[in-house]
Amino acid sequence: MKRKKSLNQAILISVMSAIAFIIQYFDFPLPFMPPFLKIDFSEIPALLIAIMFGPSAGIMVEFLKNTLHFIIKGSETGIPIGQMANFLAGTILILGTTLVYKKKSTKGGLILGLILGSISMAIVMSIANYYLILPFYEKMLNYSTTASEKLILIISGIGPFNIIKGIIITTLMVPIYSSLKPRLKIN
Amino acid sequence: MNLSQYMVIGRYIPGNSYIHLLDARSKLIFVFLYIFLVFLTNSILGYLILLSFIIIGILISKIPISYYVKGIMPIFLIILFTIILHLTTNKAGDLVFQWKWIEIYSQGIEQAVFITLRLLILVIIASMLTLTTSPIDLTMGLERILNPLKRVNLPIHELALMMSISLRFIPTLVDEADKIMKAQKARGANFETGPIHKRVINMIAIIIPLFISAFKRADELAIAMESRGYRGGEGRTRLRVSVFTWRDLLLLLIFSVLLITILSIRGL
Repeated sequence: MKRKKSLNQAILISVMSAIAFIIQYFDFPLPFMPPFLKIDFSEIPALLIAIMFGPSAGIMVEFLKNTLHFIIKGSETGIPIGQMANFLAGTILILGTTLVYKKKSTKGGLILGLILGSISMAIVMSIANYYLILPFYEKMLNYSTTASEKLILIISGIGPFNIIKGIIITTLMVPIYSSLKPRLKIN
Repeated sequence: MNLSQYMVIGRYIPGNSYIHLLDARSKLIFVFLYIFLVFLTNSILGYLILLSFIIIGILISKIPISYYVKGIMPIFLIILFTIILHLTTNKAGDLVFQWKWIEIYSQGIEQAVFITLRLLILVIIASMLTLTTSPIDLTMGLERILNPLKRVNLPIHELALMMSISLRFIPTLVDEADKIMKAQKARGANFETGPIHKRVINMIAIIIPLFISAFKRADELAIAMESRGYRGGEGRTRLRVSVFTWRDLLLLLIFSVLLITILSIRGL
């Protein structure tokens, strides 16, 4: 019986990754933001899986989703830097959320967890952009920017972008969680 | 609005060319090394060689050029932006062109051409891979390449299986989402007009039924696999087996020639 359970879990993770990929496919840029920051709420299937089977299963969904995105949609630069950034953001959000939810498995706990996750996602992504992602694009385009220019982009673009993404995911996740709750427990 | 019209899954164009018939493993490794080569190159001459090689590839692949152009479209703006950036800010070299306050220097032009070529090469080689290899072959190729990692207890087979299941389910779920969308519209839901935050909230009416149906489908597939005796990766046989042929050997030779050329140009 043990194998059946793990097979079930693996298949559900794959199907959810497919849904996450479909949601991510229809991403859209925000007004007043740089066009390369595209918003989508494909973290929701990953969060549901993380609530059901634990954070590592949720991270698995993020991984599959981004691999699918790279294989099917490709990357603008040939190197999946956008997908890696999305994976990092999703992983942080899942870890932050499950950290609180594990202690307090209610709607309130989920909201608290999502807030913590969104804030840590914004912080980690700002740091990662400063030290890794923006320097990568600089190398790519052979164009160097000063530290203050990078900071302006992060404070006006990347930080708020991740906060908005967190708000959208939270507002969608809470009603979805409430109506799927009985289903989540059975599995 | 029909969702599946908006979303053409994958960009794979079936064909019978030399590039199509290559083993997915060799294509993946080749593209990886080619990208490495692009970053190793430091002169416009080197890029011209790499680009002409890619143009030969386009011709051999027998895929209409319009498909490659479609692949370039998303980065067209980035290329344009970079060209303007380099032309206007790079003030090294000789003054080539002056009109009112616009001054263009030779180094700026050189950099603009350099970066344009680099981005074009990267995008086209990546498109070539996805245009000539079906996603399922790519997944299998990745599985075979990563196979040695099984020794360190990474579940490579399971990962590849999950990838193939996801790939299989994408079109099914797109159709499903489309059906749900129509059903909700028939009940009076509105997904196309109104303020953006309202439209996002309305998406819940699609997402919840989609999740429920995903749970069901996952259960059904698990039962079907169990009843057919699926028992993991050990000793499993395959319907399609990829083999290393003369084509792959030829690709290896071509790559070595390219590498030597690029390295000798770099040394000049």
